[in-house]
Amino acid sequence: MNAIAFTDVSRSYGNVLAVDGLNLTVETGRTVALLGPNGAGKSTSINMLLGLIRPSGGRIELFGRPPEQAVARGEVGAMLQDGELIPELTVRELVDFVRGLYPEPLDLDAILQMADLTDLAGRRAGKLSGGQSQRVRFALAVAGAPRLLVLDEPTAAMDVESRQRFWAAMRDYAAGGRTVLFATHYLEEADENSDRVIVVARGRVVADGTAAQIKAKAGGHAVRFTLDGQSAAGLDALPGVSAVEVTGGTATLRTADPDATVAALYRGTSLEIRDLRLAGADLEDAFLALTREP
Amino acid sequence: MPNHIRVEILRMLRNKRYVIFVVAFPVVLYVLFCNIVAGQASSGGGGAAAYLMVSMGAYGALSASIMSTAVPWAQERQAGWLRQLQITPLPGWSIILTKLVSTLLLALPSLALVFVVAMTTQGVSLAPGRWALLFLGMWIGILPFAALGLAVGSLVPPDTAQPAAMIGMFGLAILGGLWFPVDTMPATMQTIAHALPSFSYADIGWNLVSGQAPPLQDVVTTLVWAVVLGAAAVFAYRRATARA
Repeated sequence: MNAIAFTDVSRSYGNVLAVDGLNLTVETGRTVALLGPNGAGKSTSINMLLGLIRPSGGRIELFGRPPEQAVARGEVGAMLQDGELIPELTVRELVDFVRGLYPEPLDLDAILQMADLTDLAGRRAGKLSGGQSQRVRFALAVAGAPRLLVLDEPTAAMDVESRQRFWAAMRDYAAGGRTVLFATHYLEEADENSDRVIVVARGRVVADGTAAQIKAKAGGHAVRFTLDGQSAAGLDALPGVSAVEVTGGTATLRTADPDATVAALYRGTSLEIRDLRLAGADLEDAFLALTREP
Repeated sequence: MPNHIRVEILRMLRNKRYVIFVVAFPVVLYVLFCNIVAGQASSGGGGAAAYLMVSMGAYGALSASIMSTAVPWAQERQAGWLRQLQITPLPGWSIILTKLVSTLLLALPSLALVFVVAMTTQGVSLAPGRWALLFLGMWIGILPFAALGLAVGSLVPPDTAQPAAMIGMFGLAILGGLWFPVDTMPATMQTIAHALPSFSYADIGWNLVSGQAPPLQDVVTTLVWAVVLGAAAVFAYRRATARA
């Protein structure tokens, strides 16, 4: 069964069309990234999915039901972008309260541990840092053991280490066969933490597939190596390569297919390749490539 | 819902503004006023202390019901806590009903404190049945003010809710004769006072402590305001939580 199904969903604010005929389905048990630049319609889509705003057109179903029903049955948990906590309550009190609203919640201590809050359980929410509050909001989202977990740009206020821990916790949660949908504008996050990436721009799906497929489509990989005095002639004819730059003895090949490019570099040329480095798709380039007007 | 109510009460009891302005302030004012009156004339005695007990009890309950609703509620709406609750299985009617019940409970401390101080330090004495009736009447009678606070909290952002709550609270208290008796006001002010729920509410108490039955007109006025403001609160809440 599909956990999420959007059928021709649109939403406008006045004259602005935020979501424009969105069609997508997410199977139960998948971890899916909703990737797009700011203003792509990610948050609007998520708010519609949670039943907080109504679509102007089209239909949304969660586990075959309208969003409000799925929410009322405790099947959905979410971490929204803006959500302050009650400053006078402690972390434990907040988590325990929200957990009590669901029919079959997780164990309190297990939630605190998963969200790395055990040491902060007695602290009042008003005294938490931005990253700590973010962890509490994650704890509130998973507290009811929802079948569908929705995260809207969850790592926005976190430092690098917190991010890594956060994604580890998310993967733990998803490992139980649960469905996760998260919105992000970081390609790396989508790449590392999902098994499918849906790229949205201007309120539409512009690409849908595994991270590798998306990157290939975006054509944003860079293969670099030390060229020294050797000739760069013919490098632009290698498979997948779209551009070649040589600066300070280093060659940079822009490629849509780094595997094929590197293989051809070794087998098809007589160059002496040293210091080979591969860089992931560049965010800017990827978006420009994917979201360009047709 | 019991757990939600518990959480709401807990957070307000930890809120310094609530404890100082709602619980402590009315009883301090009460003792102060009693001393002023006692210093001015020996006429009032127990009667004045009982009258002031109702005035300050009413003021405390009024401020409790507006202060624990308007601003916290506006903040929760704006800051996203309401959305956090809306994406849980908690139904919308339960959220607002919890607020109302919590407000009723949060008005108890200031009301009880003024009564206890009146009994123990000012020598106010009533028959047990009359105490019970007074307490119950002055407790349930805050419904219009709780509804007003919730309506304000649903309609305006926190920056506006703060002054609106203050104006509503002091306006109702002063114009309704809780600080200075209505009899001492000019005629026009008296007419205004008699139409306000703060006057009709307190007047029920003043009549009860002076050994009379509450006038029907007071009961009707309070009820009408409760219905009108209650409808406004429900309308405002639905508007605030409507899925756009």
